[in-house]
Amino acid sequence: MSGDSSDLEALFDSIADGRAPAPAAVPPVVAAAPAPSATSSREVGDSDELQALFDSFTGTQEVVSAPAAAAAVDEEWEGQEKVFQRVGHMARQLHDTMRELGYDKIITQTVGALPDAKDRLAYIATLTEQAACKVLNATDVANPLVDALESDAQGLAQRWDRVFANQLGVDEFKQLAAETRAFLKEGLPQKTSGTKEQLTQIMMAQDFQDLTGQVIKKVVTLAQDMETQLMNALVEVMPGEHRTESVNSLLNGPVINAEGRTDVVVDQQQVDDLLDSLGF
Amino acid sequence: MPDPKMKFLVVDDFSTMRRIVRNLLKELGFTNVDEAEDGAIALQKLQCGGFDFVVSDWNMPNMDGLTLLQTIRATPDLKHLPVLMITAEAKKENIIAAAQAGASGYIVKPFTSATLSEKLQKIFEKMDKSA
Repeated sequence: MSGDSSDLEALFDSIADGRAPAPAAVPPVVAAAPAPSATSSREVGDSDELQALFDSFTGTQEVVSAPAAAAAVDEEWEGQEKVFQRVGHMARQLHDTMRELGYDKIITQTVGALPDAKDRLAYIATLTEQAACKVLNATDVANPLVDALESDAQGLAQRWDRVFANQLGVDEFKQLAAETRAFLKEGLPQKTSGTKEQLTQIMMAQDFQDLTGQVIKKVVTLAQDMETQLMNALVEVMPGEHRTESVNSLLNGPVINAEGRTDVVVDQQQVDDLLDSLGF
Repeated sequence: MPDPKMKFLVVDDFSTMRRIVRNLLKELGFTNVDEAEDGAIALQKLQCGGFDFVVSDWNMPNMDGLTLLQTIRATPDLKHLPVLMITAEAKKENIIAAAQAGASGYIVKPFTSATLSEKLQKIFEKMDKSA
């Protein structure tokens, strides 16, 4: 398939140059060709004949270039048709090559596996979202409990401080003692068991890890198979100069593997350092 | 000191992240928080007025965070608003692009409440200086 890359290049060049200037230049030469061949058959000997030959050459070219300009529109269409034909030809060739190499079956299999992988990923998204919601709900319930505990304890502590400062009457002291007893026997255990319950909820919400872990492993295996197979097929048919083009964009999502990369930051400190170094 | 009543707009397409940021802001004493799920909705809410601070994700449908930031900086009524980016985008060119577009701060996910607190503090200090 190495011949294909030069074909492709020629095709690309012809498209990139707008409409093919090459075909427009070719006709004059072709049209002029009979003239030299006719004269040369008579064996060009002197300079007059050479001059005549030269005149005939330039003359024909001038004559031909006028109709060539007039026919430019037609040629443009002809050029496009050629492009379509070439693309069609290349597609056919690609198809045949893939079949010869046995890639068509692999690709059919891979494409068949994609909806399954999509479902699996959707399942992961659902489970993780549910888990996140459960945890956030649990913290929403537990936070007020802990806050109440804190303020109740603070209130009692302040009143006990007054006892130790001899600022409390006997009745007040009795009431404080009763309230403290109630807090220790009821208020406190009630709220701690409520908080514990939420902690258990948070723990149980992590059960998705087991399920998603299994599903993720399957999808990763599928992705790896797909990558190797498709890469093999693509490397086979892709012209060399397109192989190293990397995608460059600002929307990449989280960096999955930063090892050996210098274009990404791995923590907040590096973000801050970078911004500092730029004077922001 | 920052006004605890100041109104925040938290922009993120994931409700979980919006809830986390809202909770963290609450812990830091800011309870006046509204949410938007993408840049376009955020812009609508901002144009209605009343907001003092924007916390935005980058990668969102309809309008991404960088475009939102650029639009805010190009809108006379909004350009003074501090915009803190909290995003998973960790390429250096992302950080530079955000800084050049006028971001007030940049936090990479995953982040801690301490980081959020520190960045907010830094932005408030700058606001106080310029005020």
